[in-house]
Amino acid sequence: MNPDISIVLDVAGAYFSDSDHLQTGAHDPQQNGFNLQQLELSLGSAVDPYFRFDANLVFSLFGVELEEAYGTTLDLPFGLQARAGQFLTRFGRINATHPHAWNFVDQPFAIGRVFGSEGNRGLGVELSYLTPLPWYVELVGSATGAGGEETARSFYGADDLGVEAPDDLLYVAALKQFFPLSPDWSLFFGLSGAFGPNSSGRDNRTDVFGTDVYVKFRPITSVSPVVLALTSEWLYRRRQVPAAVLADTSGYAELFYRFVERWAVAGRYEYGSEANSVLGDTTVEDPLDPSMTADRHRVAANVSFFPSEFSRLRLQGSRDMPGFREGIWAAFLSLELAAGAHGAHAF
Amino acid sequence: MRTLFFWLSLWCGLVLQAGAAHAELAVVGTTPDLASIARSIGGGRVKVSALSLPSQDPHWVDARPHLALALAKADLLLITGADLEAGWLSTLLTGSRNGNIQRGAKGYLDCSTLVSLLEVPSGKVDRSMGDVHAQGNPHYMLDPKRVERVAVGIGKRLSELDPAGKSAYLEGTRRFVEELRAARTGWEQKLAKLRGRSVLAYHRSLSYLADWLGLRVVDHLEPRPGIPPNPRHIAHVIEIGKSERVIAVLQEAWFPQNAPKVVADKLGVKLVVLGTMPRFDRGDSYVTNMNQLVSALAPLGGT
Repeated sequence: MNPDISIVLDVAGAYFSDSDHLQTGAHDPQQNGFNLQQLELSLGSAVDPYFRFDANLVFSLFGVELEEAYGTTLDLPFGLQARAGQFLTRFGRINATHPHAWNFVDQPFAIGRVFGSEGNRGLGVELSYLTPLPWYVELVGSATGAGGEETARSFYGADDLGVEAPDDLLYVAALKQFFPLSPDWSLFFGLSGAFGPNSSGRDNRTDVFGTDVYVKFRPITSVSPVVLALTSEWLYRRRQVPAAVLADTSGYAELFYRFVERWAVAGRYEYGSEANSVLGDTTVEDPLDPSMTADRHRVAANVSFFPSEFSRLRLQGSRDMPGFREGIWAAFLSLELAAGAHGAHAF
Repeated sequence: MRTLFFWLSLWCGLVLQAGAAHAELAVVGTTPDLASIARSIGGGRVKVSALSLPSQDPHWVDARPHLALALAKADLLLITGADLEAGWLSTLLTGSRNGNIQRGAKGYLDCSTLVSLLEVPSGKVDRSMGDVHAQGNPHYMLDPKRVERVAVGIGKRLSELDPAGKSAYLEGTRRFVEELRAARTGWEQKLAKLRGRSVLAYHRSLSYLADWLGLRVVDHLEPRPGIPPNPRHIAHVIEIGKSERVIAVLQEAWFPQNAPKVVADKLGVKLVVLGTMPRFDRGDSYVTNMNQLVSALAPLGGT
């Protein structure tokens, strides 16, 4: 009757050409030398015929963080499913995932910039609907708290003004579609939006619109170890701030290629535009990232070795090219170890 | 307005169509072998689908979201169990939102509970032993005697879920078991000469086949389950193969063939690639697939 328990350790050796780097992920390597990215303890179990329970606790050198703890319904009618508790919202593709599902050592900076270093998550409820259409169409809506510097920085962020009305919550809506183009080819396409208040002034709001695409080639009609996957995700953010409306775009495109059973390579390009005033005073400074006065580009490449399904070594190099300061080189050598219950992989 | 009406009509039509599909018992097998047996037993009373292809390693199925659509409409889910589907099924099962087929429900049948399993580890189990299955070896579908019990279990469960069709399911089960028994007698005669002979296997997935036929699997090309072959182990396996005078290297179709070819060439024996899953999508049954598998093994009796 014990829940399934698994633990995942991520550690990395890191080099930054400038110790004042711009990594935005809470689990990214942060300093030259050795880094504990995270120790994740996952628990999961059916509660009864109606609910399952999942929790992810993350240990760092400085404490424990309740990353997720939520219940999921198993038997609502009409294709509905609800989650309640603390969870990563299903905005876009990468936000709801954990580092062991990533193709890179670090998180795309778009997520850290828009939502915060931990990605968008919070206490709240989610309702999703699997439509009866002949292809996979899922509609997702969630309401969570709008506070948290690490989880909702474009909203209330560190200045959590609390909830006095429904408008004070952060709402996420998403449409997810999947097309099995053939047994070997898959296409996943999503549209997302996050809407909530920000703390820059009374009734000021932030809207984030996102789109994501995932194309995967994995031959299953013939014997092949090949996996080729393209992931791309773009976020357009619009914020009301005193005297202006600021807008910016962030995103990434990455290509993962497993060419033999144990080896894979991947490349990623990331972009973030400067926040521009699209309405009102054109001289307004971005209150969240005042130093980001020009566009930012970053490229990364890595090679991964998988001794088994439960361990991974990854060597990654990247070049950050912010237009507003000197560029930064970075190199990571990471090790991931997973033990315990064999968790199921999401697509 | 016309456009809105068109989309609403399309939506309603699709919803009604989806509802109509529930008129029959919808059965989903995680693997084609279970699906084909359900089809053989249930005939026209069931609509059966499989979540994986016969060419696909059932350990490594992508949880492609559209698979959840079949599960969402299923009345019965058949799984091989013993953690064979641990890496992918639970995501789909939760995503299906279908309480009728969740673990513990009447529409969830773990077929490994119907048979006795081989190679159940004793003592402490961890992954230093490779990707071992703590409940035992899940590849029991290659033993027709165990498959007989699986078929009876599936027939019973179909009867419980669709009492109006009980006599049809009993008749379907009886017919399937009779056909299987008759075929098994023929297979055992055809492969009698293999009894006591030694073979090498790629993965620990042929244990039940070997147990049934009296074959001796003297070693595996994987040094431990789920760990790909390495040169040192290959050299070791070749030595074992020589000393045990193996007659063939056997593997399932979804495993890579480079290392097995090298071993077979070095030993001067045949590499036999076994199609262990019926081509369910093309209408193959469990028995017709086993006929082909037996035909692939039969020539080894003459070596």
